[in-house]
Amino acid sequence: MNPGARLGGAALFVAAVAAAAALVHFAIVLLVPVVASHDAYARLAELGPPGATVALPRGAPGEKRFPWADPAIAASVCRFDLSAGPVRVKAPIGRAGFASISFHTRRGAVFYALTDRAAAHGWMEAVVVTPAQLRVLVAHDDEDNPTQDLRVPSPTVEGFVVMRAFSELPSLYEAASQQVQMMTCATEPPP
Amino acid sequence: MTIGAWRVAAKAGSIDADPYTRAALARSGEIPLALGEGLELVARVDSSGRALDRRCVYRVGSHTPAARYWTLSLTDAEGFPVDNAAGRYGFRSSEILRDGDGGFSVYVSEVVHSGNWLPIGHVDTFTLALRLYDTPLAATAGAGGIETSSVPTIVREGCA
Repeated sequence: MNPGARLGGAALFVAAVAAAAALVHFAIVLLVPVVASHDAYARLAELGPPGATVALPRGAPGEKRFPWADPAIAASVCRFDLSAGPVRVKAPIGRAGFASISFHTRRGAVFYALTDRAAAHGWMEAVVVTPAQLRVLVAHDDEDNPTQDLRVPSPTVEGFVVMRAFSELPSLYEAASQQVQMMTCATEPPP
Repeated sequence: MTIGAWRVAAKAGSIDADPYTRAALARSGEIPLALGEGLELVARVDSSGRALDRRCVYRVGSHTPAARYWTLSLTDAEGFPVDNAAGRYGFRSSEILRDGDGGFSVYVSEVVHSGNWLPIGHVDTFTLALRLYDTPLAATAGAGGIETSSVPTIVREGCA
């Protein structure tokens, strides 16, 4: 075998190893969210059952469950399970300087959000539905009496909703905390 | 995406998050802020690109991009607040002391500093998080719509 051919064989071998390593790398990156046993949803499941609104721990030293939490923000969460029907979320805007709700898939990704700018009569409100429930609801809509509901289709049957309220001053944190715990997440009859 | 000293993970708050962002979210347990709620910028370096060092004093200022409210807070490398004797973990735009023209300076240091003092606390590596709530920037963040001149600078003033 001449030296050139040997070099070519070695290069091919290195390329094959690199390609295999890249494949394994991408496979692992894609699998992490699927196999991670302690993602946000799993941590939230330890706080309360689906449908219940629970306060999220405030960002503080020693609180190690939810990283990158703003200490100025009071937050609450409810998990939803759409298998029994759509879930109606209502969140009061109160006196906080800023309030919002965000809708997350089972894996934690945000699929929708509302701020207090979109509130009507002091409440932010939306109905989380599966794409199938949405089709049935739309089919039964009365054209003369269009629904006032904001319907938000969820990519996953399970997920969670987070309410946040901004405290303008440290002394207003407690009020913001009480405000976010007034969020309700109620399962409605299947359409 | 990097703007000055700050990194923006604009896609973390949307369904379009890339696989690396998704993997990181799944492992950390972080609940991301939605783009529609605001933007989160994180700095691990100063404006000269040097890693943030707890032995140094930094001045962060003097203005931020437009937002209804913003907060500047200090965490460890994993995003958790750091214990400090002053019990101060961040500043809100609604409580901060401002200078005559509406700008601000936050002093980040281990030892007490006059003005808006953000203590580094007992930690080896720290990060700074700037959160902009209800900002028109969110719509353009993914397209690189944030000007470097609009974000606060992090200037190293001296080191022990």
